[in-house]
Amino acid sequence: MNTKRLSVISLALSTVLMGSVTQIQAASGDDITVYSSRKEHLIQPLFEQFTKQTGIEVNYLTGSGGDLIERLKLEGSNTPADMFMTVDAGDLWYAGTQNIFQSVNTETIKSNIPSYLRDPKGLWTGLSVRARTIVYSKERVNPSQLSTYSNLASSNWNKKLCLRTSKKIYTKSLVASIIHNQGEEKASQVISGWVNNLAAVPNAKDSHVMNAIIAGQCDVGLVNTYYYGQLIEKTPDAPVKLFWANQETTGVHVNVSGAGVTKHASNPSGATQLLEWLSSAEAQAIYGSLNKEYPANQNIDSDEIVSSWGSFTQDKMNLSIAGILQADAVKLMQRLGYK
Amino acid sequence: MKEILIKSNIWVGALALAIALPIFVVGSAWLLPGTDLWSHFAQTLLPELVSSTLILLIGVGIGVSVLGTVLAYLVVMVDFPGRAWLEWALFLPFAIPAYVLAFVYLGVFDYSGYVQVWLREYLGIPGFDIRSGHWAIILTFVLVFYPYVYMMARASFKRQKIQMIEAGKMLGAKPLRVFWRISVPLARPAIAAGLLVTLMETLADFGVVSLFNYSTFTTAIYSAWGDFRSIEVAAQLASLLVVVSFFLIYFERKARGKAKYYSSDVSNIKAYYAKGLTGWLIFLFVFGVFMLSFAMPLLQILIWSVEVFTLEWSDRYFDYFASSGILTISATALIVVIATILALPSRRKSESKTLQLLIRFSTLGYALPGSVMAVGLLYGVQNISLISIYFAGSSINHILFGSVALLLFAYVSRFMAIAYNSTSASSEQIKPVYGQSAKLLGASRLRLIQKVYLPMMMPGILAGGLLVAVDVMKELPATYLLRPFGWDTLAIRVFELSSEGLYERAAIPALIMVVFGAIIMLIFNKLDSEKY
Repeated sequence: MNTKRLSVISLALSTVLMGSVTQIQAASGDDITVYSSRKEHLIQPLFEQFTKQTGIEVNYLTGSGGDLIERLKLEGSNTPADMFMTVDAGDLWYAGTQNIFQSVNTETIKSNIPSYLRDPKGLWTGLSVRARTIVYSKERVNPSQLSTYSNLASSNWNKKLCLRTSKKIYTKSLVASIIHNQGEEKASQVISGWVNNLAAVPNAKDSHVMNAIIAGQCDVGLVNTYYYGQLIEKTPDAPVKLFWANQETTGVHVNVSGAGVTKHASNPSGATQLLEWLSSAEAQAIYGSLNKEYPANQNIDSDEIVSSWGSFTQDKMNLSIAGILQADAVKLMQRLGYK
Repeated sequence: MKEILIKSNIWVGALALAIALPIFVVGSAWLLPGTDLWSHFAQTLLPELVSSTLILLIGVGIGVSVLGTVLAYLVVMVDFPGRAWLEWALFLPFAIPAYVLAFVYLGVFDYSGYVQVWLREYLGIPGFDIRSGHWAIILTFVLVFYPYVYMMARASFKRQKIQMIEAGKMLGAKPLRVFWRISVPLARPAIAAGLLVTLMETLADFGVVSLFNYSTFTTAIYSAWGDFRSIEVAAQLASLLVVVSFFLIYFERKARGKAKYYSSDVSNIKAYYAKGLTGWLIFLFVFGVFMLSFAMPLLQILIWSVEVFTLEWSDRYFDYFASSGILTISATALIVVIATILALPSRRKSESKTLQLLIRFSTLGYALPGSVMAVGLLYGVQNISLISIYFAGSSINHILFGSVALLLFAYVSRFMAIAYNSTSASSEQIKPVYGQSAKLLGASRLRLIQKVYLPMMMPGILAGGLLVAVDVMKELPATYLLRPFGWDTLAIRVFELSSEGLYERAAIPALIMVVFGAIIMLIFNKLDSEKY
């Protein structure tokens, strides 16, 4: 009897659930729906503020960039998403090629965000700038020894270098920029030099790279500056420092996190309004204080901690190139054994 | 009667076929035109990852078999201090998601972790990179997956025929000889079953291998998709995993052979009494495994959680918890019901080779990385949608995508192996004589199932259900890709925070998961001990 009851209950439960599925998120007219590969803890405060000011609700679904692009493609014109937000120029570029954005070229956005951080056709807009540069041990490295990304391939750094895995999109975009700036042949010398200099298997995270430097496993590494910001916020006296790479040459490699209005948005005006607001000084300040990134809006100052790292010249390579060359970058790294 | 049986066979076959749908979608990628990505992979990634995948499988396989069997033997056959509580405590590591264990271990044992810092400062031992080489990742997998073998072997040791062991003892065999020559051979099918599940899960893992930056087959799968955006090649590579699993299952069946070693009766074997130092040494060993695989990681995430509690805690946690809970309960109920249907004893079923094969197929999803299965499902839906567009003029993508139903379907396909292993093991113990005598008494099949089969299979059904529940709660990739709006789970929160390196904050959702997983394992243990 007991068993029968159990199976009846479970069957009933499953049926109820199966029935409830058909009610797909029917967003009311004013709501905005966002697919985002920017993590929840970094977008929720922004959307909350937007809702407070405008009364417009924002629903969001986080996921990995590649997954969400695939989902958008398959959903086609039925997609509930009005906006797609992601954290790498390569992903933004690829999403652009997959025909999931519509162009948005409002004056507000144009005046807030410089053109090299936007898609030429207005398909996507960069919303925060992420600089990837050299981090070094204050105890064991004299900054005068440092200069460029390529210089880390020299034998001076033998068994002293820590890198993040080549699987991470930030590494791919950086290597794509090296291919663009210096050509494939020079780039392959740089990569094999890096691989030879590694003190440890490439790390899964930027934070691991910095921990390894602090512990003395290696002396230099490459990180996105906001991870350094997180570290310094927690342990202000950590014996590591940032060095701005390539200041005499092409400038520090920067990437963007950004967003675009989807082609089949059911609320394109709301999504555009949100995009404009995200580019505004107010939202840009939240980006900075929340995650220690650089504002894409050049009219406002960086967060206090962030500005304490000093100013630097950025590599103004158009970011679409990072997307176009990413596959070449990966092939190169896989060929040369950069794991 | 005969027709009903045939009909029910067709239904069971159709059910198994539906569950195997993602496997077929993934396999069908071979019909697509080839790309030059294969030759690139063949020249770069494949040679290394074939060997490192093999080393990992062999290392983990030997590790879990030895550790799981030895632990099970000790708690069943040897009386040592602390045995009573350690017997159930050894189940607890099941509750810790493998990726959580991996980031805790890296935080504690890698070059910058405090163990090595201490070793360097006080003992002058030079630091080393635990991620290079194979042993650290093998050890991690062993500590997270040994409970599979432990659980199966323990059940088997408890059921071994007392006469054989007593006969061995009377013939003067020493305890170690009894272990090697009688107990282990008798438990071989159980050990093989636990080993199979472990190897399939190791093959499909992505979380642990990416934290260690270790190359396995999933590395190439994710590279094909993440780096080169080629879903075709990713699916082709993933289908090779399915083939490997198919062979693993074949060998497991073979290892089991035709023999059914264990009787269904529990025997009261008198345990060896380990006195004095020996007993305490055994205690130290078993306790050490428990510390390393459960207590230490739990303590670490507890410390992290306390540090950042005010920063991370919010009302959102009630949502995460509710999503995890509802998905876990409903998926478990669904999976268990289906696994029971698939495993119900039936003469026709065992005679039909096709049906056997279909049921085997329905359990292969366990070897697929969760995200590959999820994309397989999306493409499956897309194809069904094309049919619907052709006949009804409208797509059904938007109804199915992001629906709870699709996610539950993914769970069913992915975790069927766990539940089916358990339900089929219990149904195989039902002697045919029960069915025959019921028939002689004129009982209908329905009545036979209700009154005889289900009660007899209940231990297996419950055990399978509890294991599946823990697995569903821990599941990440498929949930991440397929969940509807507002269905963020605890596992997703752990992933999002830990992928930004915020391990302290990730510890809070991880802790909630571990506590609930542990409660589930304790219920499991309670039910399990009532059996004996």
